[in-house]
Amino acid sequence: MYGWIWRHLPGNVWVRALISLLLVLAVIYVLFQYVFPWAEPLLPFNDVTVDNQ
Amino acid sequence: MRSSSRGRLNVAATTDDTQEETDAPAAPPARRRGTGRIAAAVSVFGELLITAGLVLGLFVVYSLWWTNVIADRAADKQGDKVRDAWAHPAKDTGPGALDTKNGIGFLHVPAMKNGEVLVEKGTSTEVLNDGVAGYYTDPVKAALPTTGKKGNFTLAAHRDGHGAKFHNIDKLKVGDPIVFETKDKWYVYKVYDILDETSKYNVKVISQIPKESGKKKAGHYITLTTCTPVYTSRYRYVVWGELVRVDKVDSKRTLPKELR
Repeated sequence: MYGWIWRHLPGNVWVRALISLLLVLAVIYVLFQYVFPWAEPLLPFNDVTVDNQ
Repeated sequence: MRSSSRGRLNVAATTDDTQEETDAPAAPPARRRGTGRIAAAVSVFGELLITAGLVLGLFVVYSLWWTNVIADRAADKQGDKVRDAWAHPAKDTGPGALDTKNGIGFLHVPAMKNGEVLVEKGTSTEVLNDGVAGYYTDPVKAALPTTGKKGNFTLAAHRDGHGAKFHNIDKLKVGDPIVFETKDKWYVYKVYDILDETSKYNVKVISQIPKESGKKKAGHYITLTTCTPVYTSRYRYVVWGELVRVDKVDSKRTLPKELR
């Protein structure tokens, strides 16, 4: 999987490394901005109130 | 360790690929090709597992660090707005008008060592995720101290993440002060009872007269609730306090002696 991505990136090793880094950062951004905020309420870690439900 | 394993996987995948490309001209033995496919599948599966592990690790970083950054930023912004509004009241609001949109005041709990906590209306996730304490509107509506009426001022805030404003709630002991600051009053409460573990369905703890704390008569109470043990929300932690006195805020906003 990662090998496949690496081989399909253009440029030499340094360019590929740079693009890989940018891809990793993009993935982290998407996770922190969209995926984790969505997933968090579904997980039982952060309910602090008492209620009837 | 990660890079070395990745490198190894790369090599495996590369040999695999060349095999596929050279497939047509010089067909390799069928058996060799079959194991190659399996090896490729196993390596992809392995990479997916590693990825899942990294994502879970990132989730921990997100919940315990990043949400605090975001929440503290939001709380500071809203807190500044409230302070500004107090310092320069808008002309159109009449006397006694209470602007609850940005928060009604600040909670100071010296034992928690977390500075001031903005108090806003409601205990929904959206409110609490801004790094504030929320007063209950449901299932039992909190009695705000500003009304002067007897009742229970019930609050909730996060234990971990999203500002973690009540993280150190377990450091509070009986007799410790809890001070609520509004535009013109300091409401000084004293902790008189603590329930270090209760069911999340136990809504009686936030009733106007919290009988579980031993009180029988109506009074000016404050109740802090959050989740416990830390990093989970299996149970609720409850701290009850009773109003000791109300100080007027002077022109220099001199802190009451409990906060000095």
